[in-house]
Amino acid sequence: MTDLADPTDFRFYKARYHSELTGKKAKDIHEFLAVIKEIDESAIFDHIYHALLDYHFLPLEYPNDFAYWIADVLHEPALAERLANLDLRRLHNLEMVRQEIIRVIEDYLVTHNEVSSKAGPGQEFYFIRCISVIFPTRYVASNIKEMLVILKEIDLETIFYYFIASRLLDGEHYKKWSDWLFENDSHELMEKLNNLYPYGFASMEAMRTEIVRMVEEYLWEHL
Amino acid sequence: MTMNTTRSVWDYEDIVGRCLLEDLESLGEKIPGTVQHVNATYTGGGVAEILNSLVPLFKGIGVETEWKVIRGDDEFFSITKSFHNAIHGRAEDAIAVPVDHESVNVVDGIELQIEELKRRKSMFETYLRWNKINSEEVTLDGDFVIMHDPQPAAMIDMKRRGKWVWRCHIDVSNPDPLLWSFLKESISKYDASIFSTPMFSRPELNIRQFLIPPSIDPLSDKNIELSQGQIDTVLDKYEIVQDKPIITQISRFDRLKDLPGVIDAYKLVKTRMDCQLLLAGGVAADDPEGIGVYHEVMKKAEGDEDIHVLLGSPPFTDIEINAFQRASTVIMQKSLKEGFGLVVSEGLWKGKPVIGGATGGIPLQIINGVTGYLIHSVEGAAYKIANLLKNPELAKTIGENGREHVRHNFLITRHLKDYLLLLLSLENPSGIIKL
Repeated sequence: MTDLADPTDFRFYKARYHSELTGKKAKDIHEFLAVIKEIDESAIFDHIYHALLDYHFLPLEYPNDFAYWIADVLHEPALAERLANLDLRRLHNLEMVRQEIIRVIEDYLVTHNEVSSKAGPGQEFYFIRCISVIFPTRYVASNIKEMLVILKEIDLETIFYYFIASRLLDGEHYKKWSDWLFENDSHELMEKLNNLYPYGFASMEAMRTEIVRMVEEYLWEHL
Repeated sequence: MTMNTTRSVWDYEDIVGRCLLEDLESLGEKIPGTVQHVNATYTGGGVAEILNSLVPLFKGIGVETEWKVIRGDDEFFSITKSFHNAIHGRAEDAIAVPVDHESVNVVDGIELQIEELKRRKSMFETYLRWNKINSEEVTLDGDFVIMHDPQPAAMIDMKRRGKWVWRCHIDVSNPDPLLWSFLKESISKYDASIFSTPMFSRPELNIRQFLIPPSIDPLSDKNIELSQGQIDTVLDKYEIVQDKPIITQISRFDRLKDLPGVIDAYKLVKTRMDCQLLLAGGVAADDPEGIGVYHEVMKKAEGDEDIHVLLGSPPFTDIEINAFQRASTVIMQKSLKEGFGLVVSEGLWKGKPVIGGATGGIPLQIINGVTGYLIHSVEGAAYKIANLLKNPELAKTIGENGREHVRHNFLITRHLKDYLLLLLSLENPSGIIKL
C-alpha cells in the first residue's frame, strides 16, 4: 500500500497505540517526581496526550492522567489544576513537557512542604509507555481538493496522528505532509495549519471541523 | 484438539464502525507468521469465552491461527486450581501452611514443615510432568505462541522457535510467595507477558510486560440483542414477574462476591420502595465452599418472596444470563475481591447502570458517577440503588454512558487490535514501529 501510482501523490498514514507497562509506580508526590525525571518520553506522551484521542462522552475534570491522579488519590487539587493547565502550545517536544511538569511540581513543593499523602495499595500511579504502530491508510490525494475530501472522511486517529503524535514523536509524516503542501504551492495553508492549537478544541472532531474550514477557505480564496 | 471456525470482522461494522475494521485488516496483513493460542479448556470460564470469539477473528483477517488445549488428569487440574486460588491471594488456598510454633514443639514443627515441603514438591512435580507430556504431544511451532494462565506456563522449557508470550488473566499482585517463585522460573523465560490491568502485574519480571484488558463479544449469545419476547420467555421459565424493578447480581456463589451484602443492600432499599432482587449463578464443580455459600444465601433470603435465588444446575445458558441482565433495572457486582469482573462490561453493554465494588478491574469499567457507581459498603450500595430507582432518567443516562464506554474499550475488536499491535512490537523494542 505504500507504493504510489504517481510519486507526486500524497498517502495518509496513521498510528494505533498500545500500552507497555514500565514496572514503575509511585505512591506519593516525591516518588512521582523522581519517576517523571527519568521515565521514557513515550510514557509522558501516553499520560498527557492520550485523553485527546480517547473517547469521552462527558468532559472529565482533568485532561491528563497525572492531574487526575494527584487530585483523586493524593488530594492535592491545586497542584492538579496547575498540571491540568500546562501550556502545551509552547511545549514543542516531550522533553519540554517533562521539564515543565518537573518545574510545576517542584515549585508547588517549595510552598507546600506539608504534601505527604500516600496512595493506598492499588491506588498507586502506574507509569505506562505508549507504543506507536504507524502504517499507511488507503487514502491518497493528488491535489488539495482531493485532500479536502479525505480530511472530511478520514478517521480521528489520522487527524490525531498528523497534528499531535507525529509532531511530538518523530515528525516524519508531518514533515512529509508539510513538504507536499509546499510542492503544491500551498505554503500559506501549511502555515495556517502549523499554527493550529490542537488543545484548544473540545474534541478531535471539533479540530477536524476547523481544519476542513481552513482548507475550504484556502480553496475559496485560490480558485 | 484445535478449533477451526473463521469469522469476519465485518460482522461488527454496525457496532464499531468501518475505520477500526479496516485497521484490523491492515495490521493483520503485516503479522509476520502464524499464531498459536494455548490454554486449559475449550469451554467454561472467561479465557475460553474470549478465545472462542478471538481465534475465529484472527483467522478472519487472514492470520493463520490455531487454538490448542492441553490435557491433564484430575490431580493436575486440582493442582492448577489451587495454583489459581493461591495466586489470586485467597489466604485459605495458600500452598504454604505456616506452622504455629506455640502449639507444637520444635521437633514436631520441623516435621510438619518437612511434610508440607514434600507435599508442595510433589505438586510441582506433577505440574511439571503434565507440562512435559503436553510439550511432547502438542506441536508448538508457530511464529507466535500465546500461553494463557499458569496451567501450560512451564511448556516454555520445550520452546524450539518463535516468540512466546505469557498471557496472565488473573491478579498476580499478591501471590503465594513460594508458588510465585516456582512459576516465575518459567515465566521469566518468555519473550513477553500480558496483564489485564497495571496493578495485576509483577515489576520484578525481567521480561517486557504489556497491558491488554479483556473484552466481551457483542455478538455472542451472552451479549447479543434479545427481543422482549425472548426475555419474557426466560423470566417466565424462572417465575420472575416483571411488575417491579429488578436488581440483579450474576455471580458464582462465592464469598468474595458478597451476596449477603447484596441482600442487605436490597433490604435497605426495600424499606423505601418496592423492588425485587435476582441472584443468579452457579457453583464451581471444584469449589466445595460454593454450595455452602448458596445455602447461606437461601437462608438469608428466606421469607421474602421478592428475592429470587437461582442456582444454575445445569448451568444457565448464555441466552438466559443475557435475558436476566436485560430485564434488570440495576445491575450489581458487589465483589469484595475481583479479577477483572467482565460481568460489569456485560451489564454496561446492555445499557444498564452498574453498581460495583471498587476492586480489581471493576474501577476500569465503572467510571464513578459516569458509567455507574463504585461503592464500599452495604449502605453505599443501598443509597445508589435507591437513587437510580428513583431517577429513571439518570439510570438511562448512566446506562447509555456505560454502553459507549464498553463500545470503545471492552469489545472483542479492540482486544484483537491490541493483540495485533503486540505481535508487531515484539521484534522491536522501540516506542515507534513503522510498517
